[in-house]
Amino acid sequence: MLSVLLLAPVIGAGIVGFWPKGKDEQVRGVALTIATAIFLWSIWLLTQFDITSTKLQFSQYLPWAEPIGLSYNIGVDGLSLPLVVLNSILTWIAIYSTKKDIARPRFYYALIFLVNAGVAGSFIAQNLLLFFLFYELELIPLYFLIAIWGGEKRAYAAMKFLLYTALSGILILAGFLGIAWLGNSGTVAWLNHYSAFDYQAIMTKGLSLEEKILLLTVLLVGFGIKIPLVPLHTWLPDAYVEASPPIAILLGGILAKLGAYGLIRFGMQLFPDTWALMAPGLAVIGAFSVVYGALSAIAQKDIKRMVAYSSIGHMGYILVAAASGTPLSLLGAVAQMVSHGLILALLFHLVGIVEIKVGTRELDVLNGLMNPIRGLPLTSALLILGGMASAGIPGLVGFAAEFIVFQGSFSVFPIPTLLCILASGLTAVYFVILLNRTCFGKLDNKLAYYPKVQWDERIPAFVLAVIIFVLGVQPNWLLRWSDTTTTAMVANISLPNAKQIATK
Amino acid sequence: MGNLLLDTVWFVPIYTIIGSVFSFLWSPGVIRRTGPRPAGYINIFWTFLAFAHSLLVLTSIWQEPARQLSVTWLHAAGLNITIDLEISSLTVGVMALITGLNILAQVYAIGYMEMDWGWARFYGLLGLFESGMCGLALCNSLFFSYVILEILTLGTYLLVGIWFNQSLVVTGARDAFLTKRVGDLILLMGVVALLPLAGTWNYTELAAWAETAKIDPGVATLLSLALIAGPLGKCAQFPLHLWLDEAMEGPVPASIVRNSIVVGMGAWVLIKLQPVLALSPLASTVIILVGAVTAVGASAIAIAQIDIKRSLSYSVSAYMGLVFIAVGTDQVQTALVLMFTYAIAMALLVMTIGGIVWNNITQDLTKYGGLWSRRPITGISYLVGAASLIAFPPLGGFWALLQMADKLLQTQPWLLGVLLLVNGLTTFGVTREFSLIFGGKPKQMTVRSPEVLWPMTLPMTLLMGFALHVPLLLLSWQVLPLVEVNILVATALVASTAIGGGLGGYIYLNEKWEKPVRLGSQSLQDFFAYDLYTAKLYRLTIVFVVNLVSQIIYWIDRYLVDGAVNLVGLATVFSGQTLKYNVTGKTQFYAFTLLVSVAAFVIFLIWPLLPGIWG
Repeated sequence: MLSVLLLAPVIGAGIVGFWPKGKDEQVRGVALTIATAIFLWSIWLLTQFDITSTKLQFSQYLPWAEPIGLSYNIGVDGLSLPLVVLNSILTWIAIYSTKKDIARPRFYYALIFLVNAGVAGSFIAQNLLLFFLFYELELIPLYFLIAIWGGEKRAYAAMKFLLYTALSGILILAGFLGIAWLGNSGTVAWLNHYSAFDYQAIMTKGLSLEEKILLLTVLLVGFGIKIPLVPLHTWLPDAYVEASPPIAILLGGILAKLGAYGLIRFGMQLFPDTWALMAPGLAVIGAFSVVYGALSAIAQKDIKRMVAYSSIGHMGYILVAAASGTPLSLLGAVAQMVSHGLILALLFHLVGIVEIKVGTRELDVLNGLMNPIRGLPLTSALLILGGMASAGIPGLVGFAAEFIVFQGSFSVFPIPTLLCILASGLTAVYFVILLNRTCFGKLDNKLAYYPKVQWDERIPAFVLAVIIFVLGVQPNWLLRWSDTTTTAMVANISLPNAKQIATK
Repeated sequence: MGNLLLDTVWFVPIYTIIGSVFSFLWSPGVIRRTGPRPAGYINIFWTFLAFAHSLLVLTSIWQEPARQLSVTWLHAAGLNITIDLEISSLTVGVMALITGLNILAQVYAIGYMEMDWGWARFYGLLGLFESGMCGLALCNSLFFSYVILEILTLGTYLLVGIWFNQSLVVTGARDAFLTKRVGDLILLMGVVALLPLAGTWNYTELAAWAETAKIDPGVATLLSLALIAGPLGKCAQFPLHLWLDEAMEGPVPASIVRNSIVVGMGAWVLIKLQPVLALSPLASTVIILVGAVTAVGASAIAIAQIDIKRSLSYSVSAYMGLVFIAVGTDQVQTALVLMFTYAIAMALLVMTIGGIVWNNITQDLTKYGGLWSRRPITGISYLVGAASLIAFPPLGGFWALLQMADKLLQTQPWLLGVLLLVNGLTTFGVTREFSLIFGGKPKQMTVRSPEVLWPMTLPMTLLMGFALHVPLLLLSWQVLPLVEVNILVATALVASTAIGGGLGGYIYLNEKWEKPVRLGSQSLQDFFAYDLYTAKLYRLTIVFVVNLVSQIIYWIDRYLVDGAVNLVGLATVFSGQTLKYNVTGKTQFYAFTLLVSVAAFVIFLIWPLLPGIWG
């Protein structure tokens, strides 16, 4: 059943890519249909998912390249399932929000489907090499998506993105090889041990502490680039800003989650005791990223860049939560991944509309878009909703996720958690700057009379806004998928200082 | 019937949210067909339902014990958050007050916003506000109190920002949002920290826990300070008070609600939290000090204002300061009575001022004069409102202040001095305003000034009638301190009123007294007129620092951490593109920074473990 999530986008890419010449206007419709089908399939998977089980579900195993330990081993649990669904939603949104007259539509939509397949594959892969394959696979289409359809400095941004993430991939591969190599060297030669890379068979118990720390650090840096964590983040603002809005939605909404997912899956779960040792440092890095992202965002003059920096901050919460390793905080980490994906997608989409209609993203030029007749009132209203969701106003999904992160992490790492709460105040600062400059104020008469926002431009925003609102009012619908899994996951982790503070 | 209504009383906040949602439908689009007005009428209808429902329930629940309701909202990973409601004559009574004042304000808005096209947004937000306040009245959980306070903060931002194309409105909305958010977030820290300690957010259980809890005094102090911060911001107390007078830039009908009851909701939460705050002896001292400083400071600032609306808004902070003192000295009932009499009086005052501003265009007090003959109804309403606010027997404010003064004399006599001073200053302030507006001869701006439309006059006169009956209500609720009246205290209170009022009247009604009135040097006067330079102080400190730090960080980000730029160097090697960042000779430097940042990251990660590994 899961394989459909891989096959459908690959076949879809084929269909779209080889759609007959001269029928450009149909390509979008076809792509949208395929994306809808994938989305519906992932929703169907949700309904079939057993939320009480801690085991992998929908598993499938096929031997593949046994000599090197690669097997087609897939499955999902409560950690990956919400992300798989997020992936299919955001792909749909990205395709829908692409402008109709995009150049070279066949290539474009095919690439998006390949990205979708790569991301879905990474989330469901239960073999380390398979994960790595998918992880690298989505890079190339994304590189093209940025480099061909991006903004002014797209070549620069794309190359930067490619090099950084390639480095991330190399480090992760090194880490994986090290795990299999060192982990099995005591018993059998790893090359003969065909399941050396299967997730369930990985043994890290036999490793010495030095080895574990080394391997975990390599993985941390690798995934840290992808998340990204400060100071490994500098590819992000350029890539997000130069990419067109739909691609930025994919990049920020779902690609970044791969890093956080990998960190939890392969860092925390494979090295539980070492993770506990390094957790204080991780929490500090997370809190630092949060504050750093928020403060940099305040200094921005370009709204897209502001949103990009805000993303650095919001990803930091996930690291703090993962470092804390309590059932609640880890649940919060998953919730934050989904909520951030949704909110960021909404913001990028709206910023894209503003850019198209008004022709600028400069805070100093934008003004008075709330104006009911000549401005973009509905877009502004949704921008307020998105900004406030991101700033963590209750009633929207951002608050639900952040609050669970705060509550879950506080008993373990009080100071970093308080710093995170403080930074959510800074988030409010830059969103108020953004809203005050773009939505409020007096519309410039010389610039006014913007083109009307069409309904099909609004629909993606409406869909996202409704999800953000509904999950904010009823967060159970977001949390129920992961509760069992995350609680089971942290059972092996015992943070040394967790108990002391909790019982004080 | 009575039972059905009682069982569904939690529906009251929902009525108004329904009204709010319906109103929002009239944003551009529908407006073109019907005009904006239906949005307002629909909202008034739903508010009326809410009012009628809570009033009916109030009669049946009177004197009955409180009921608790609890519904699970979130249950995940050991965290169980329930929506706790307390249904008692007090909470339902508060809802009746909230919805009642809201109806008046919304009818008032029909007149005040007559020419405005933003009805959908305005009424929608009013409905949201009303719903939030009703929810807060019923809510018996700290978590949801926080949630509602935070949503109200957003509501304030949008409601103040209704007329968003004026620059003062935009900065007012911004300041309201940010200062309240600061208070809210510190409260959130308290909320998060409280759960591991107490294991509950239910106020009733918290009170029980606090009685026996033994926690570290340092933790208790920090916790209570964090919990105080939320109400502090909401009630516009020093040092988070500056948003309130800027918020007066918003439409007056919203100010009626905000100045009378919204600010009070902060104090409501403070009252609910009082048992927890009792854990730390410092907490009550802080509450009293904040309240006293705000009360005296704000009532002095109010006198120095020349803006007719802002002058009134500082009295709000001053009275909330008095409520803080009452809570700090453990007089919960007095605090509630004071909040009630205050809410009626302040709503009435804002209504009269709104009607005056509406057709006299200016907000500058010095341009007013001679309105008494032209606006007798407004004038009388103003007098009744002012007299109910201060200690003017036999109107409401007198009894509340008397009760408080009586207690203060027994516990902390110096606070009685504060109370008398605040009462005197406020009396002086409202008399000054009255004299400037209604006294003297008509000036250019006030020559043509008839009474305004009935939708504004009617709620005003209704409320005036109600204000006159407040003492009777207090009497029937048996909260009048008739038996143990301390004649001395009562005399002192009345004397302070008389001195303040007499002096105000003598100075401002006196044609011979030179206008504008001067107090000492210009700098002293400016000190008060500019709100003790609070806004400037913030601009020079916190705003400056945040701005500077963010600029520095961004600079570092661009020029130092962006060792990524080095990759551009590498990129050129691969792709042969020439990019503008790649200045010859810097490539090595960029590569070096990348290496350094990765190395620093790794060292930081491993640092604490080094001794363990090689030691």
